This record gives sequence, structure tokens and C-alpha cells, in this order.
Amino acid sequence: MATNTLMAPGLQAVGLGPYLTVGAILLVLGVFGIFLNRKNIIIIMMSIELILLSANLNLVAFSGALNELSGQVFTLFTLTVAAAEAAIGLAIVTVYFRNRGSIQVEDVTLMKG
Amino acid sequence: MNWTLALPEIVLSCSGLFILLFGVLQKRSEPSFACTMLTLVAFLVTGILVVVAPDGAGYHGQFVNDGFSRFMKILSLGAAGLAAILSLDYNRQEKTARFEFPVLLLFSTLGTLVMASSANLMTLYVGLELQSLAIYILCAFARDELTSAEAGLKYFVLGSLASGLLLYGISLVYGFAGTMEYAGLRQVLTGGAPLAAGLVIGLVFVIVGLAFKLSMAPFHMWTPDVYQGSPTSVTAFLAGAPKAAAFALLLRVLAQPFGHLAGQWQLLIEIVAIATMFLGSLAAIGQRDIKRLMAYSSIGHMGYAAMGIASATDAGIRGTLVYLATYLIMNAGTFGCILAMRRRGRALTRIEDLAGLGRTDPTLAVLMAVFMFSMAGVPPLAGFFGKLMVFAAAVQAGLWVLAAVGVVTSVIGLFYYWRIVKVMFLDAPVAGAFDHRAPSLSFVSAVTGVATVLFLLVLGPVTGAAQAAAAALFG
Amino acid sequence: MITVASLFSVAVFAPLLGALVTGLLGRVIGDPISRIVSVGLMVVSAGCAVAALWFGLAASAQAVAVPVSTWVQAGGFHAAWTLRFDTLSASMVTMVSCVSMLIHLYSVGYMSHEKNPVHRFFAYLSLFTFAMLMLVTSDNLIQLFFGWEGVGLASYLLIGYWYDRPSAVAAAIKAFIVNRIADLFFMVGIALLFLLFGTVSYDNIFATVPEHVGASYRLFGTSFPAFEVIGVLLFIGAMGKSAQLFFHTWLPDAMEGPTPVSALIHAATMVTAGVFLLARMSPLMEFAPVAKGLVVVIGASTCFFAATVGLVQPDIKRTIAYSTCSQLGYMFVAAGFGFYQGAMFHLTTHAFFKALLFLSAGSVIHALHDEQDMFRMGGLARKLPVTCAVMWIGSLALGAIPPFAGWWSKDAIIDGAWMAGGGLGGFAWTLCTAVAFLTALYSWRLLFLVFHGRPRVPELHDHAHESGPVILLPLLVLAVGAAFGGWLLRPWYIGEHQAAFWNGSIFNAPDNHVLATLEHTQGLIALVPTILSFLGVAVAFVCYMLKPEIPAQLARSMRPLYLFLLNKWYFDELYDRLFVRPYRALARLLWHVGDETVIDGVPRGLARLTVGGSSGIVRIQTGSIAVYAFTMLIGLVVLLSTFLLVR
Repeated sequence: MATNTLMAPGLQAVGLGPYLTVGAILLVLGVFGIFLNRKNIIIIMMSIELILLSANLNLVAFSGALNELSGQVFTLFTLTVAAAEAAIGLAIVTVYFRNRGSIQVEDVTLMKG
Repeated sequence: MNWTLALPEIVLSCSGLFILLFGVLQKRSEPSFACTMLTLVAFLVTGILVVVAPDGAGYHGQFVNDGFSRFMKILSLGAAGLAAILSLDYNRQEKTARFEFPVLLLFSTLGTLVMASSANLMTLYVGLELQSLAIYILCAFARDELTSAEAGLKYFVLGSLASGLLLYGISLVYGFAGTMEYAGLRQVLTGGAPLAAGLVIGLVFVIVGLAFKLSMAPFHMWTPDVYQGSPTSVTAFLAGAPKAAAFALLLRVLAQPFGHLAGQWQLLIEIVAIATMFLGSLAAIGQRDIKRLMAYSSIGHMGYAAMGIASATDAGIRGTLVYLATYLIMNAGTFGCILAMRRRGRALTRIEDLAGLGRTDPTLAVLMAVFMFSMAGVPPLAGFFGKLMVFAAAVQAGLWVLAAVGVVTSVIGLFYYWRIVKVMFLDAPVAGAFDHRAPSLSFVSAVTGVATVLFLLVLGPVTGAAQAAAAALFG
Repeated sequence: MITVASLFSVAVFAPLLGALVTGLLGRVIGDPISRIVSVGLMVVSAGCAVAALWFGLAASAQAVAVPVSTWVQAGGFHAAWTLRFDTLSASMVTMVSCVSMLIHLYSVGYMSHEKNPVHRFFAYLSLFTFAMLMLVTSDNLIQLFFGWEGVGLASYLLIGYWYDRPSAVAAAIKAFIVNRIADLFFMVGIALLFLLFGTVSYDNIFATVPEHVGASYRLFGTSFPAFEVIGVLLFIGAMGKSAQLFFHTWLPDAMEGPTPVSALIHAATMVTAGVFLLARMSPLMEFAPVAKGLVVVIGASTCFFAATVGLVQPDIKRTIAYSTCSQLGYMFVAAGFGFYQGAMFHLTTHAFFKALLFLSAGSVIHALHDEQDMFRMGGLARKLPVTCAVMWIGSLALGAIPPFAGWWSKDAIIDGAWMAGGGLGGFAWTLCTAVAFLTALYSWRLLFLVFHGRPRVPELHDHAHESGPVILLPLLVLAVGAAFGGWLLRPWYIGEHQAAFWNGSIFNAPDNHVLATLEHTQGLIALVPTILSFLGVAVAFVCYMLKPEIPAQLARSMRPLYLFLLNKWYFDELYDRLFVRPYRALARLLWHVGDETVIDGVPRGLARLTVGGSSGIVRIQTGSIAVYAFTMLIGLVVLLSTFLLVR
């Protein structure tokens, strides 16, 4: 993506590449966190937040690079959704813990086949 | 700006808030029944508004109303309404009759409506999340059941992962195309400029996110567990309206902004559809829990419906829409029958519990058999016509492999559907008759059963509406 | 002509009515009424047939077609149900319906001791008669083939009538299969005829024969004259039906059926269908000299082969069966020399005396309570005087002792062979003359063993009793035919009235003078067969009456020859090695490999694959979130790489 004269000053300094790279790294971290983690469901929830953040970072970076606001607006929506998601997620984990007495990932295999 | 475009959604969300308020303020008795009735009324009013709402785009290109969105909204509302009726008896018997249930159902349905009208990736995401977040809660609605909690947890984790991937894909598409509006995207893509790799990757991420909602292989893994673990009333909803909404999104995204790339995503959909059909039919064979079986069955149905998309033609889209309509009818009816499986107040879900139903309750057995045969695609039942249209579209589009796989898996499918009929009519009863059916269940099963049998009579109007919807989609 | 046509139709369709009534309603109306119905309808049929022949001859009309209905009308292919009335068919119809009527009557007595209801038997008999009548009255090859297969079916049903006897069932299957093989060639012949002529109707074929004389088929780089190929193929079909050499194996085994069946099918009517076919196709055969030569060679060889085998058979019915085979050989020799009239003459006289012989043998078997071994009989003349007398008459006719029926027809054929001359004529004459001796020998061997000398098994002899009048009446009628038939029919069939009698229904090529030269046979040559016949009687008298030890000594001293003959030249064993076993091996291979492994294996394999796939997929569904997420990731990567690669 060619550097745009309308681009925000910060972006002009380092270009879009680093932002996208960090976003990609965050995504990979988040995804791997979900299925490599054998411990705790809370870690999974943190990984999900990472994925959302990586997308947010992308959106903001693109928004800046394109000098177009809709990306940043979207980020606000995403943040809201992420908050709701976290709340719901924690509520479900609480319900699960109440029934199972554990939030070990290995234990969530009651139903299969 | 024409704000009346979104009047159905506005009315529905306002009624949702009102019902929530009503439920909270109601002190004397559990207002679940009243709230469900109010929800049904809200659905009805919304449905009427959907029919009369004007065509056009509004809200700065965020929202669109056309034949397609109208068709999908009616389907969603109908499916959600039937699910709401089905939930009445089940929730009462399972002591989960709380007023939040219909409210969540309503908000989830609101999400599906927003999805059907999305004209911007932002609307798409918000609608999808609105629908999904409500369903996460619904899955874990039976708070004291471990299975329900586990189902909610699994769906939440995997669903969040999927929407995360979708969101990441959206960010890439936005970044490389420079816009989130469908119309703008379409302009960029038809401009003839070389396709950026990031755009393509973004598209794949978006497809993956939607395929998850449609439980298409290999993103289907959550489906059996969630279907089995959730309260059956939730499963009945889960297998209906959200699928229609996800299809609405997939169709709209693929046909409108990415319609120009049809030659490229066609292959992806084809691969996914083949895998889905095989998986849905194969894995269902050994199942012993009827809800799990229905999960695999719905996976298979999503594969068949996707055949129409893979053919990427007007006729194909029309086939998919008709298929969805028949699927929703059969699905509601089947769950009506499943919810009627109850002995001495205890809900049953094992297939062998159906043994001898042909003798103990012939009406229910015949209804169930009708739905099973219809799902297997036996003419002249409803399921046959949907299958016929998508198969024909696939063959016309030259997708012979897809059509052949569809035929093979239909045969396998017939086997496991037939197994249920066999258990009902040929096996000896092991226990007594089921409990007396609630009138709500009888109503839904009877209505959908009649619709399934006599679908031939309304085939013309339904196909016509689907044709208009497909035409609106292609513009 | 209306009367002739309607009489003729009644003659043909009355047996069908009988078959339908007894076959479908037999249970309802019961056995006695079934018997009355079928015999009554056969009497009607025979009466109408005689009347039709009489009026037809009186009117001396050319061929008349009696349309019944359209059968097949497909493009250029047209086949109709039409009864063809000419002397050839009318004489055959008369012969068939008369003999059949007598055998129906005989069956009433013969089958009276059956434990099970016999309406089925009468239904089959009538069905057979109808099919045979359809065969001889056909107006086109397709209708002929219908009758041809109809008699095959009825023969199968009748041979296997006692379906609780494994040997009868096996014999029925054998007869059917051997006939099917010959029929295959016959069908190919019909198909080639249709290709060549564009029609299957006799009249159209015969009318255009001269146009196609030079036609030929190209196959494997060689060209074959069309008429020869068709002639040979039709003859192979005839060989199967008429039990000629190489296709003869089914006939002796067919003796497993009830004796009336042997008399009707395997002596008088069905086996002569091949001879009739050649006579019917004479306008074609006359232009196929090579095929005719083959007919002579096969006919003469069969004639000799069957007679030698008949010499040593211990079974009374099998002896007569081989005799039938041998006599059919005579007929084919005649047909092969273009002497169709002689063949038809011998066919007719043979029908009388061979039916007589079979029915008499049936009477003997009946009297001895199903004993068929001649070496357990003897001295029955006093116990069964009438049977003995008619059997003598039948044997005199078969052995060609003047003036009995067989002498007239057989001598004519042997003379015809002599007059035909050439190597072929010499070959045929030599064999036929030798067989005249053999025929007399085995006929009197049978007579002496059964009726004369001392009883060999006293218990059997003591319980023997003469049959009732229902059995004896047909025997007497047939005996009259066997005694005087030749003398009476000779002028019409081959004598001075033959041209007026046949009236163009049999065709002789212009250069075929066999009929005209028949009278010019040198006196001594003409006498040779007769002298040999008497010699045969004398030898039989010496061997089986004066010195009964001679045959046993001969059998000992020439044991290999004896065994060779007793085992019917080892044809069955040869076929077993050559066809049956390889075929079984092939069938077993196809069964085990083709059917069990491939045809059954594919669906079974698919089912196993399905179930295996199902359990495999279910096994992936571990319930673990990590696995689910990982699967999704794999799916994402696969789709991404597919997209990026294919793009």
C-alpha cells in the first residue's frame, strides 16, 4: 500500500507494515492460545480478547492509512461487543464452575461422539 | 435519510426492551408465559412491518431493504415464532420457564433481521454478534444442568473464535479495499485492478466465520455437542432461524460485494459443501441420541443448501432459498415431535425411546415419519423439492461431482432417517406411551406436518418469492 | 374356402382351449371333467383337421392364409398371427392332431393310477399340441419360432412332469438346454434371413429367393454364400429339435417323462419339427447345396450311430428312443437329397408305428408296474396277447418288412439315396442299408426279450396283466395305421398323385429329379435293404431265442466295443468334459470372484466404508475444545491455501 500524503503523522513515520505484523502476531497468539492451552478456560477467554484486539489494531491502522473514519468507528463497536462477550463468557464460565466444580479445559468433554 | 426502512427492527428492539421491563416489574408470578405471548405478538407485528416496509438503502449505506432481505426476515421470524411456541411447554416442565428466555430469543431474532438487511460489513458484524451473544446465553439457560453449561461454554469459546476470525477478515477486506460498504466493495472489485492477496485472505476469513455459524465442515465440530447439551427448546431455535440468517449473510456477501469473484469462491463453497454433506450423512449413522442425530442432519442440510450457492446462478440461489424454507418447516416439526418425547415428566432424547411409537402413539409416529422422509428427500414431501432444485442448479452449472456427492449422501441419509421410522414402527415398545402432548407441541407439529405434506400446493408462490429474492440479490 | 379356414382354425385352437380350461380351471372342475374336456376337444381338433385336409384337397387350392391378428408391427419388421393352409401344413396338422388325440385317450388309461390329480398333465399335453400346431401352421418364421419354443417348453414341462424325481428334473433341464443351444443358431438364422430379405413371411421370402441367390456374407475376410449360411443355421436348429448327432443327447434322457409323452413328443411330433422345417424351407434349401450335403452327412451318421447304440440298451424305452433318433436320420437323409416328399412320407408312417411302439411299451411297463429293464421280462406274449400283437405290427413296420408302412417309406428313401449317386449318395446308401439290418436286429431283440422265451423274473411275470380297453383302443387304431399307412399314402406322398397332392407346398429345384428317377432303381439294389431286414430278424432269432448265450459271449469277447456302444459312444462323457465342466468352472469362477467378490463386494465394501467413515468421523469428535479449535484452524489453512493456489 503506497504511502498516502493524507496519512496520519504516526503512520507516516513507520508505515503500515509493522501494525499489520503486530496484528497478525496477536491473531496467531490468540488462535494458538485456544487450542494449545490445556489448563484453564480463563486463558481461552484471554486469547479471544487477543484475537479481537488484533482485528481492532488492523482496523485502526487501516483507518489511519486510508484516512477514512469507518474503521475507527468499527473499532468502537468491536470494543463494545468484546465487552459484552467477556461479560457473557464469564457468566457462562461461572455457571459451568457451579455445576462442574472445575474450569479445567480437559474437563469440558462431557459430550462427544 | 429514510429511517422507516428499519422500522421492523426498531419496533422489534423496542418491544424487546418493553418485554424485558415488563418481566422485571412483574412481581406476583413468573411472567414467562405472558412474555412469550408478547414476543409472539412482537414477531407478528414485525412480520407485518417487514412485508410493508419500503425497498431501498439507508443509514449511510449501512442498511438495505429488498426482496431478498424480506424473504429471509420472514423465514427467520417464522422459524423463531415456531421455536417460541415450542419452548412454552418444555421450559415449564423443565422448570426453566423464566421471562428472560423469550427476551433473549427476541434479541437473537433481531440480530438475524439485522444480518438479513446488512449492507455494510459493520452491520454484518453487529447483527451477527447480537444474534450469537443471545444464543450463547440461551445454550447455558438451564443453569443447573452441567450439559447445558458445557454446551454454552463450548459454543461461546468456538463462536468467539469464529467471530474473531471473521472480524480479522473484515479488517483485511476493509484495509485492502478501502471501504466496508458492499456497494463500494463491488465497485472496487469490478474495477479491474489486480486483486490484492490481503483481500483474498480476508474473504476466506469471512467465509470461515460464516461457515462456522452454518456449521459447515470442518467448522461444524461444535454443532453436535451444543445441540445435545442445550435445552431442547433452544436447540429447536438454534437449528432454525440462525441458520437462515447465516445463509442470508453468506448469500449477500458472496453475491453482492464479491459477486465478481464468483469463479474463485465457487470452488471453496464446493469443497466445503462436499465435506459437509459427507460428514452430515456419515456421522449421523451411529448416533443414539436424537438431538445429536438432528445436529448431524442439519449439518447435512446446510451442505445441500450450499450446493445452490456453489452453482453461483440465479437458479442456484433460488434453490437454496426454497431449500431453507422447507428445512425450517421440517425442522420445527421434527423438534415438535422430539419435545413430545417425555415419560412421567422426564424428557427423553435416545432414539430407542421411540421404539413402538407406531403402536403407542400413531399420530406422533406418522408425523415423525413424515418429517424423516421429507428430510431424506422423498417425493412428494417438502424436502424433495428443495433438494431437486439445488441438484438441478448444480447440474446446470456443470458441478457434476457436487451433484453426485449429493446423491450418494442422500442415499446414506435415507438410511439413518429410515432407521428412526423403523424403530418407531417395527420395533416392539420397551416402555409405556409418552405423556400427554401439550397443545402447543401438537399445534406446531400438525401445522408443519400439513405444510410438509402439502408443500406441493404452495410450491409455486414460494418459488416465486425465492425467485424475486434471488433477483434482488443479483440486482 | 370359408369352411376350410374355419375348420382349420378350430383344429388349431381347440387344443389351446383344452389347455386353458384344464390348466387354469383343473382344480375347480376336477380330474374327470378335465379328462373329458381335453380328450373331447382333441377329438374335435382331429375331426376338423381331417375335414380341412379333405376339403382342401378337394378344392386343390394353393396356399391359403387365415389371418388371426397382427402381432408385431415395428418399422420394417412385420409379423402377424396367420394360419397358413397348404398341403404340407394340413397334412402335418392332421397327423399331429390325430396322433395327439389317440395319445390323449391313451393317457386317460395310463395315468389312472397317479396319486396326484392329472389335470396338469392334460393341460401340458394340450398345450404341447397347440404349440406344435402353431409351429406347423405358421405363416412366418417368427410364428414358427413361437411354436418351436412352445413345444420346447411343453416338452420341458412334460419330461419333468414327475418333478419329485431328480432324474426327471435333470432330464427336463438337459432337454431344454440342449434345445436352447440349437435354438440360438436357429435365431441367428432367422435374423440373417430377415437381414437378407427384409421380411420373415414365407411368401415374401420365397417370392424373392431368386433375387438373392448370389448374396454372400463377409466374415473374417472370407465370403460365405448367404443361402448356405442360413441353411446351415436353420439345420442346426432342426438338429436340436430332431435330436440329430451332437444334439441327440437329450432324447434318451427325455424318456424319464411318462410314456405317453415319449410317444407324442419324442416319437410322433416334436422331434419331426426339424424335418418339417427343412420341407417348409425347401424353396431356400434347394439353393444351398453345401448345407444339403451337411444334412445328408449328419442324417446318415445319426441313423447309423443311433442304431448301433440301440442294439445294446437294456431299457425298453431307451431302445425305442434310439430307434427314433435313427429313423429321424433317414428323414434328414431324404431331405438332404431334396427328397422332401419322401421325408414327409417317412415322417408320417413313422409317427404311426413309433407312437404305436412307445404306447405298447407303455402298456408293457404299465403291466409290469414300472419295470423298464428288458432283461427282467420275457414270455409276456401269453399274458399280454393284444399288446404283443400290436407291438409285432409296429416292429414289422419299423423293421421295414413288406408290406408294412415302414417298408414303403424307408425303401423309397434308400432308393433315393442310391439314385442320387456320387460319393455322398454312396455314403448315405451304405449307412442306411446297414441300418436297415440293425433296425430289424434291435427291433426283434426287443420283441424276443420281452414277449418270448422264458420269464426271467417270475414274480413280475405272474403279476402281469393286460391293459384295459382305454389303453388298447389307441393301440389298435395305430396298429391299423402302421400296417396299412404306407400302402395307402404312398400314391399321394411320393407316387403318381404327389404333384397334385403337395400342390406346390414343397419346392423341388428344376434340376432335382429324385422323384422321377425313384422308379428306376435296379431291381437287385432295391431288394438289398429288404433282404437285410429279413436277415436282421433271423439273426435276432438266433441270438435271443435259439442260443441266448451268444450275445453275452460277444459282449465278453468284444468288451471295448460293447462298452463303447452301451455308453452311447461316450457322447455324454465327452460333453461333460468339453462343455459342462469348463462351464461349471467358469460359472463357479464368476460366482465366487464375479458375484461374491465384485458384485456383492462393492455394496458390502461401500457399506463397510460408510460405517468405517462414520466411526472415524465420530472418533474425531472428542468433545475437546482444543481439538475443535484446531480442526477449524486446519480448515482455515486448507481453504486459504486452496484459494491462493487456485487463484
